[in-house]
Amino acid sequence: MTTTATTAVAFDQVSKSYGTVRAVDALTLTLHPGQTVALLGPNGAGKSTALDLLLGLRQPDTGTVRLFGSTPREAIVAGRVGAMLQSGGLMDGVTVAELVRLACALHPRPYAVTDVLSRAGIDRLADRRVDKLSGGQSQRVRFALATAGDSDLIVLDEPTTGMDVTTRQAFWATMRDQADHGRTVLFATHYLEEADAIADRVLVLHRGRLLADGTATEIKAKAGARRITFDLDAPIDETALRALPFVSSLDVSGPTVRIRSTDADATVHGLYAQGSYPRNLEVAGLGLEEAFVALTTAEEARTA
Amino acid sequence: MNNLVTLELTRALRNRKFLFFSVIYPSVLFLLISGTADSTTTIDGTGLTLPTYMMVSMASFGALTAVLMGNSERIAKERENGWVRQLRLTPLPGRGYVLAKTASAAVVSLPSIVIVFVVAAVAKDVRLDAWQWLALTGAIWAGSLVFAALGVAIGYLASGDAVRPITMIVYFGLSMLGGLWMPTTTFPGWLQDIAEWLPTHAYAALGRAIEQSQAPQAGDIAVLAVSFLLFAGGAAWLYRKDSLKA
Repeated sequence: MTTTATTAVAFDQVSKSYGTVRAVDALTLTLHPGQTVALLGPNGAGKSTALDLLLGLRQPDTGTVRLFGSTPREAIVAGRVGAMLQSGGLMDGVTVAELVRLACALHPRPYAVTDVLSRAGIDRLADRRVDKLSGGQSQRVRFALATAGDSDLIVLDEPTTGMDVTTRQAFWATMRDQADHGRTVLFATHYLEEADAIADRVLVLHRGRLLADGTATEIKAKAGARRITFDLDAPIDETALRALPFVSSLDVSGPTVRIRSTDADATVHGLYAQGSYPRNLEVAGLGLEEAFVALTTAEEARTA
Repeated sequence: MNNLVTLELTRALRNRKFLFFSVIYPSVLFLLISGTADSTTTIDGTGLTLPTYMMVSMASFGALTAVLMGNSERIAKERENGWVRQLRLTPLPGRGYVLAKTASAAVVSLPSIVIVFVVAAVAKDVRLDAWQWLALTGAIWAGSLVFAALGVAIGYLASGDAVRPITMIVYFGLSMLGGLWMPTTTFPGWLQDIAEWLPTHAYAALGRAIEQSQAPQAGDIAVLAVSFLLFAGGAAWLYRKDSLKA
């Protein structure tokens, strides 16, 4: 097998500027079929631009974007890509079913309209006019348009915005099902718990560059993302604690020691090896959100 | 693409206001203008009676309304709300959107032409040979493509609040100055000189030549052809510019 056959998305040194602002800066990344990938980043990190470039809605200033070895447009024409954008609008004056029927008709390998409607959870809205929908309902119609046919890559920009919790869970169940069928799912989101729960790979974009790329667990680890808390009898030797392996931060207040570690197992092991007897030992994972904040603030500080 | 044409049509047929203005309104206007006119008085220098003269004007006006108003505002709106972007994520070729808009406008413009003819024949006793009716329908329908292209160009040029006034100014300017509402022979001399260069003037002149059993003037054909190239070229250029910035 050639590399192009096993690559869903390939960015090679892609840059895009608007005036003096570098929205995407020499971005290089590869996505493989079957992956569920979350794209994270603070506002203005370049997520939307990256997705536009990926879908061929904008052209990079330098570098190349390939989807399944061809240009984004060729991949879309071949029906290999289904996408839903925040900025994507709907045609008004028509019904939900009519619009979904159009999307199915345009796809080279369409699914049955009724299946698309029910999978998006909008079968009961089929006869509703598109311009009479709520935000969450329009969002599901967009999702239906993105999944009207048998595509290999599904791109979703903030897909669950405006959805309530139940709908959101149903939505992700559908997405997981898509990924289980070997599709690549790439989604940008603000909800970090979604990325944590669903993605098997997380990309953190910051100022147009890839700040981190790995599993949610790896991202958390990279941010020093385990918190170890315990009590020690006085006197506490801070220097010794700081010398423990993989410690990224240390905080001692009274008898309580709080350590942030990139490898909690090794740190705790080192603690016992020092001959300490920690009481009330607790090891907790940081949420992806905390890890994300830690990563981006560290980067802000570094580049400031 | 056919699916999009069908859907555009479905939507157009659902829009009562649009249907009224493009399909019924020209016939109503025709009856109002030719209401008191008898069928013997002829318009200066044409040999045509007022109803015969106004029939072509109003059929042209109806077609103009359908293609110009239908396209410009819709395109501008759909560019803004992101529907155009969404369509670019489907295998539909980029120009398919514009073609679908134009095709569906052309389908709506046909009844507006035919209804004016029927009203003129029934209510105002306008009589023409069979070939003339057919040629008139064909010429006015085909000629409306010029203004469909103009509508597309405006739709890509203007956005938001600007598109409606621009469309209105162009629409009324072309209709009035081109002599669709009243014969340009009633205009002052300098205005007549300007009017002669307007595509709407050439458009109506095309129909009138058929009514007079004459070959169309080469000048009118040229004005329409150049206008079409200008509008279609402008629309294509603006479209490409728009798709680069998505």
